[in-house]
Amino acid sequence: MITLSKKLKQDAEKKQPKYPAVDDGRRVSIRDKLLTKEVQELEMDLPDSCKVHFEDVNKLSSFMLKIVPEDGYWAGGIFHFQIEVPEEYNMLPPKVKCKTKIWHPNIAENGDICLSLLREHSLDGTGWSPARKLKDIIWGLNSLFLDLLNFDDPLNIDAAEHFYRDRAGFKAKVNEYVRRFAQR
Amino acid sequence: MAELRETGGDGVVEVGAKSTEQKAEKMFNLKKWNAVAMWSWDVECDTCAICRVQVMDACLRCQAENKQEDCVVVWGECNHSFHNCCMSLWVKQNNRCPLCQQEWMVQRIGK
Ligand SMILES: [Zn+2]
Ligand SMILES: [Zn+2]
Ligand SMILES: [Zn+2]
Repeated sequence: MITLSKKLKQDAEKKQPKYPAVDDGRRVSIRDKLLTKEVQELEMDLPDSCKVHFEDVNKLSSFMLKIVPEDGYWAGGIFHFQIEVPEEYNMLPPKVKCKTKIWHPNIAENGDICLSLLREHSLDGTGWSPARKLKDIIWGLNSLFLDLLNFDDPLNIDAAEHFYRDRAGFKAKVNEYVRRFAQR
Repeated sequence: MAELRETGGDGVVEVGAKSTEQKAEKMFNLKKWNAVAMWSWDVECDTCAICRVQVMDACLRCQAENKQEDCVVVWGECNHSFHNCCMSLWVKQNNRCPLCQQEWMVQRIGK
């Protein structure tokens, strides 16, 4: 686990030219302060099917999420997501890419994800809000395999059409992708 | 597009201008008095949903930059409160209350 107090101390010492300098010479990263708190809470409140992994414990703004759906079309697969939290967090949402090739109406084959919560600008109030947290994004991504799965407003139009045209064929292709790309 | 359902239940209680009336009414009926009537929209333990620091304390930015004195609270028409610093950054992004998604209209600014 991450030793957070140590991490905060290191951040204070680190020189990162992007941050505004302050009087006492410390550099301020609001993002890192918010993340320190959020990451502590994170592990206590994740779906059983989700696991987060920090490559570098000193860099809470970049981590991997592993989702192993227990039910639904993608059960049996292991799906990896890369989450990058921009310096402007939490005014801007994290950026998420699916690193596992998947046949899914709301996830493109290049890894782009269509989840309203991840949208920077939304006119209808369903997009990102600073009251949201990483936890909400993880629950949201997890739900893409379950109840948020949406065939009516797809990102991967081919996958959605496939589903409506030939449900058995769609299922078979999902399974084939799971077998070929989502085993570890 | 997949949309996250509103989870709600974050402990926000909205008591508007009516609270004084209610209070007055209930003074004559102490049997019905309950804890709910004690809540108000400027209780000290309200947390700014943006920087996650109590609104009565300076926001995360002002704390870090040692500008505690300049940090004030803003209340919206929806009765949600935030640090004015935090909210003025957010409205540039999206002019909605981060908690209830209503269009943001300032009701008052103060301490
Ligand atoms: Zn704040
Ligand atoms: Zn402030
Ligand atoms: Zn509101």
